[in-house]
Amino acid sequence: MTIQVVVADDEVLARQKLRLLLREQTDCEVVGECATAAETIALVRVTHPDLVFLDIRMPDMDGFDVVQALSLLPEFAMPRIVFTTAYDQYALRAFEVHAADYLLKPFAPERLQNTLQRIRERANGVPATEKNGPRYTTRIVFRSKGRILFLPVSEIRWIAAEENYVRISTEAESHLLRETMVRLEERLDPQLFLRVHRSAIVNLQHVKEVRNEPDGETAVILMNGQRVPMSRSYRTRIQRLLHH
Amino acid sequence: MTEAHESQQPERPFYMHPAIFIGYSVLIGLLFALQEYLNARRWGYRIGLLFLSEMWGMQFLLWGIICWLLWRFLRSFIANARLGALLTRVLPLSIVLSIIEEMIWVLFFPRVPIDRPPMDYWHRLTFQLNAEFVDSMAIFWFAFLFFRGVVYYQKYREKDTTAARLQVQLVQARLAALRMQLNPHFLFNAMNSISSLMRTDVDKADQMLEQLSSLLRITLERGEVQLVPLYREIEFVETYLAMQQQRYAGRVKQTLSVEPGLHDALVPSLILQPIVENAYVHGLSQCSDQGELSIDIRRDGKRVRMSVVNSGNGLNAEGGEPGRRGVGLANVRDRLRLHYGERGSLSLREVGKGRVNVTIALPLQINENGTEEAARFDP
Repeated sequence: MTIQVVVADDEVLARQKLRLLLREQTDCEVVGECATAAETIALVRVTHPDLVFLDIRMPDMDGFDVVQALSLLPEFAMPRIVFTTAYDQYALRAFEVHAADYLLKPFAPERLQNTLQRIRERANGVPATEKNGPRYTTRIVFRSKGRILFLPVSEIRWIAAEENYVRISTEAESHLLRETMVRLEERLDPQLFLRVHRSAIVNLQHVKEVRNEPDGETAVILMNGQRVPMSRSYRTRIQRLLHH
Repeated sequence: MTEAHESQQPERPFYMHPAIFIGYSVLIGLLFALQEYLNARRWGYRIGLLFLSEMWGMQFLLWGIICWLLWRFLRSFIANARLGALLTRVLPLSIVLSIIEEMIWVLFFPRVPIDRPPMDYWHRLTFQLNAEFVDSMAIFWFAFLFFRGVVYYQKYREKDTTAARLQVQLVQARLAALRMQLNPHFLFNAMNSISSLMRTDVDKADQMLEQLSSLLRITLERGEVQLVPLYREIEFVETYLAMQQQRYAGRVKQTLSVEPGLHDALVPSLILQPIVENAYVHGLSQCSDQGELSIDIRRDGKRVRMSVVNSGNGLNAEGGEPGRRGVGLANVRDRLRLHYGERGSLSLREVGKGRVNVTIALPLQINENGTEEAARFDP
């Protein structure tokens, strides 16, 4: 299944970069390009793309106006929106209008890959995190290392408490957030995330085994070999869960 | 700043408020009255305290009003008058005012001098001037000197606060300058690397541009802020390290460890980056095989100790321009001194087998107001 893409940006070089990068993707097809908000609305109406790369600052209206206008169309299936901008101050607003991602320019091809991968996962069936109803969070947004991250919780491997902060580890890196374990635990689906220690939460999808160490301690071993200590009080809970 | 605002208009000391100033003047008069009363009693002479108070009180009330008017309208003249002006203007003024004061006073007390046959106004005035002219002059000149003192004291105070403010501005300007020296340096090196990568590996060049943009974004976001929570500084260093890892194609093993309790400790913005950059330029770039870089941040009592250790050829055999390392580190040292005085320090030493250790120590300050924006959750 191909993903049909519209690229909206008032700068020709910015459009060219996306076009060239998307051409390398076998499953992506750019069905149109536009340079103004009005053009974008018209083009999206006609082509019904799956995905729109949308610049926020355009000459006539901004990207949010485009989203607003599209959402008012009757009987119109909203495409996924990925904002592309050089400004980081719109991130929360983008998050609130349920944008699929927020690419800060300039972005590396890797970052775009990442975005497309998420789009594909969503297109190929509901990700595990979504079938559990709206009570639990599916994504977290925060600033890290000069970027804006719309991090799906499924990408989290484990979470460690560090004083007033939590460290969220994904496959490639880790992010330090000013957040509490309690607040995070409340927002994470207990079917997927388990508190194994006062200062550790693991994503069960990434747990390989629970091991009793020679020194009498117990540890959770993740797929990537990461060892997370586990405290006694939590041990019975996780063993019951794993043996079912 | 309220301070700057205040200094734009001359300070008005509370004791020069008319009510307070004249009130004090009358109080002095009443003390004189009491003194005369006690004296009179000692000599067996009977006179009412109330009557004495009225006379003295009126005397000093009049003087209080006159002096306050002088202060109100002639302050700058009083403050700046030279000897010539003193003799030609202030002296005649003092005589005139003394006479006027007595003229008014005599009007109020027709029974004075007491125990004398009734006299007409001019007689009484002459009598009173004979008795009190010198006293009046003394009061005038005392007030005159007092005003001059007040003005001088004010000027001195103003100078003092201006000097302090200038000092602060100077320090800020120097800190800003020092920070600016740090930035372009690594910026151009990075651009050069990208320029080179463009020809060999476009994707990598792209990635590096993204990293460089992140670094710039963090720097711009901070603006003029001098002290940042340590974890923000670490974020910057991590991004910088990731970029260097690209440039050195994995030849350097990097380790970074931070004691968790220190995430909120305040440190000078971009204080670590020049040290890490130095480690690359003067140490790691010189060794052909696997290099090592470790950054370790620990709490040490009431201080934060940050050390950067790199492998290389030691301090003596250092390549690159001789003395360059000195310049980068001198900047860091200057900033530490400007922020912390004697409480901040930087040390540079060799720790065996060509390894160089740079350690910064600074007083531990925890950022209490958690101004950091929190994460948002969806939904």
